[in-house]
Amino acid sequence: MKYASLKKTNLNNWLEYLKKKAKFYAPRKKENLFVFRPVKDVADICLEYIPTILPPKKYYFPQKERLLRFRAQPFKTAKAIDKFEEFILFGVHTCDIAGIQCMDVVFRDGPEDPNYLNRKDMMTIIGIECLKYCDKYANCASMGNHIPRGGYDLMMVDIGDEFIIHINSEKGEKLVKEVDFIKEATESEMVTLGRIREEKNEIFKEEFYASLPKVYESFDKSFVSEVWKDLGKKCVGCGNCTAVCPTCYCFDVSDEMELNLNDGLRYRIWNSCQMDDFAKVAGGEDFRKGRESRQRHRYYRKFKYPVDKFNRYFCTGCGRCTRTCMAGISLIDTVNALTPVSID
Amino acid sequence: MIDREILLEKMKTSPYKPMQGKIIGSEMLTDKEKIFRIELEDKINLAHEPGQFVMVSIFGFGEAPISVCSSPSDKGYFEITVRNVGVLTDKLHKLDKGDIVGIRGPFGKGFPVDNMFGYDIMIVAGGLGIVPLRSLIRYIMFHRNDFGNVQMLLGCKTPRELLFEVETKDWMRRAEIKFNCTVDTGAPDWKGNVGLITTLIPNVDINPMRTYVVVVGPPIMYKFVIVKLLEKKIPDHQIIVSLERRMKCGLGKCGHCQIEGMYVCQSGPVFNYAQLKNFKGECHEKAI
Amino acid sequence: MKKQSKPRLAFFDFTDCEGCQLQFANLGGTLLELLELVDIVNFREIISEAAEDYDIAFIEGSITTDNDVLRIKKIRDKAKVLVALGSCATIGGVNGIKNRSSLELAKKIVYGDKASTINTIKTMPVHEVVSVDYTINGCPVYLPEVVSVVKCLLMGKPYVVPNYPVCSECKMNENVCRYEKDQECMGTVTRAGCNSWCINNGNRCYGCRGLVDNPAADAQKDILSKYGLKLEDVLKHFTLYNDSMGEKYDQEFK
Repeated sequence: MKYASLKKTNLNNWLEYLKKKAKFYAPRKKENLFVFRPVKDVADICLEYIPTILPPKKYYFPQKERLLRFRAQPFKTAKAIDKFEEFILFGVHTCDIAGIQCMDVVFRDGPEDPNYLNRKDMMTIIGIECLKYCDKYANCASMGNHIPRGGYDLMMVDIGDEFIIHINSEKGEKLVKEVDFIKEATESEMVTLGRIREEKNEIFKEEFYASLPKVYESFDKSFVSEVWKDLGKKCVGCGNCTAVCPTCYCFDVSDEMELNLNDGLRYRIWNSCQMDDFAKVAGGEDFRKGRESRQRHRYYRKFKYPVDKFNRYFCTGCGRCTRTCMAGISLIDTVNALTPVSID
Repeated sequence: MIDREILLEKMKTSPYKPMQGKIIGSEMLTDKEKIFRIELEDKINLAHEPGQFVMVSIFGFGEAPISVCSSPSDKGYFEITVRNVGVLTDKLHKLDKGDIVGIRGPFGKGFPVDNMFGYDIMIVAGGLGIVPLRSLIRYIMFHRNDFGNVQMLLGCKTPRELLFEVETKDWMRRAEIKFNCTVDTGAPDWKGNVGLITTLIPNVDINPMRTYVVVVGPPIMYKFVIVKLLEKKIPDHQIIVSLERRMKCGLGKCGHCQIEGMYVCQSGPVFNYAQLKNFKGECHEKAI
Repeated sequence: MKKQSKPRLAFFDFTDCEGCQLQFANLGGTLLELLELVDIVNFREIISEAAEDYDIAFIEGSITTDNDVLRIKKIRDKAKVLVALGSCATIGGVNGIKNRSSLELAKKIVYGDKASTINTIKTMPVHEVVSVDYTINGCPVYLPEVVSVVKCLLMGKPYVVPNYPVCSECKMNENVCRYEKDQECMGTVTRAGCNSWCINNGNRCYGCRGLVDNPAADAQKDILSKYGLKLEDVLKHFTLYNDSMGEKYDQEFK
């Protein structure tokens, strides 16, 4: 079975079933915004949401993660986490799934990072396709992430009274096959899906003036540019943009001792290239001095460096950095400012 | 399994887990730098390339990248030289024979010794730059017949900061290495050159096409030294440098050591000038 | 094992509310664990004796009288290690409000016709009078940070207060930005280290930990205008804790 169909009236039954299978995380409301949280009551789940404050990366690359257990005297080390837990991420947008694919590339690139891979192995991703824009900040169409492009176990599309579910892995297939109320999608349902996708083409338009290859080209030429100076003046260096980015993965490593001052844990903690001392060495030399060069670095880590290294853009189009920026720095405006004459 | 395979296997299964490194000797070299001789658990050899680095841990105080300053031909132990500049290094300076530190590595790409076989070698060391270069010099001494003429230019701020003085005299006495030293500011008993290291370069006698020049020093030194080397017509890929960056993982992930698209901990710390000159602005060591 | 004599801790208060010491007393089980490592010899809130012999001095409160200056210097001479505890001791705190007007006027407002009998000087954080080895910011201090600092102290390593704003911790805690809720929050310019304690609990940041080194004041003004706020209104919040640092504020924001 490649495509299945779930009646909306059965959605809650399926959610109850999924909730029992593994630790279950889904989007829910927090004040006027949304967050991924463990689900207690399936009624709390919001399937229509603008991207959550933090992307689901907090579950496979936690804010503060134990790396190592140690004893100073006598010298001893041990695994910090014995067992990783199975979990399901439910209702993930295609942009955030693209983010997971990017993280995969990075952490699988040798030397591999076992902490990430161990968590990733335990993860099941159930996506939901957006049929309209979440808000004006998203640039998913330019990045090509407004439509599903793999990286998930199951993908749901709302076609009216039913969800069509694309089955993309064995793990996903099991979650569909084990319940009797999910059936194989009928031909007419597939026709509806096709029609919805066509309508979507009219709704989602590339948000950048220029096509992606042109954007890449402009980055190649814009290392020195007024655009970065402007960002440098605006940026307050709070690090919000990198914390909320689904493809930012820089970290710091730090030891915490217990009160006996002998046993402790080594953690890795999210860190941001926007911090003042991020690239400063002990001797005092700062290799990315000034907010201008740090903001440029952030953009190059989305549109240039990973393209050269992994043949992948590390902007997913989720719009979080713009949405969360205290200073109103807009990703779409910044990219457009770099390609002013490229309206082709 | 040979030692290198054991280390690679450890790196693969638990890359963040340090091995036990026992300090089997230590000595203050100046009032700021101390050298440590370290023996790994089960006495395995670090099996490093000259120019590679290790991550040194003291639990509770953290971890930092430190260059190995011994040659892989020194078997059964390796050495590091540490300047006291921060929390971790201050604690390291308080350790002595018998104490244990954590070691991960070796990491990164070392000096391209295979490519340098048969060539003349000129080593330019500024300040602490002599530390990673010592691993190369010791390697060259061990494989002396595989290299052509070897000469060394050494610079530091004052005579008091000169590292490995006894060893340097030994290298000179054995006449296998031509040696020239300069200090920025002299002292009453200093009989050598006074002036910047760049002033030594125009007078050196080298055949540019047959020479590899290896430069290690503070960021500001590279800029000026490389200009002089280019004037001497040394080909870009025969100018070798080693760069210092902040590092937290050594695995090309944490982002601190990144120069534009390059992770220094994985692609470096050793680069040639052909690579360096492509950097657009974040490599402060690039020639001006 | 040979029993080593434990370091002796003493607590002193100057111009303050003793709330930070109360926080310390609230450590509960951790305090008992801590007592395995140290002796507390002077702490008005939890013990009745007061020894004059100590190694580590915790100072709460700001320096506001000539007598305070003499007293803190004496303590500094005796203590091997001196810790500034809380906003008053680290940045002057609320007491700094006095510095906004002339001393004469301040005295008159507070003490009326008794003003001439009062000795007072401008409010100063402890480090303006004597050297400080460890800084624990906050009003009140954040207990997990207190524990971290005490561990550093006992391990003999410095504690580095973060030099990035509260926002970065707040975002990691996935809070809804206070500005989204039309509240003026000082998180954008205030030193982190408190794990955005106030915002996690539905409050906003009042800046009790002092400014980051590089607050990018011009960019801050952009933020205010983005959310339709006036600088004067926000400065009222900005100066609540930081008035003794008034000059820095004047430089940055005026």
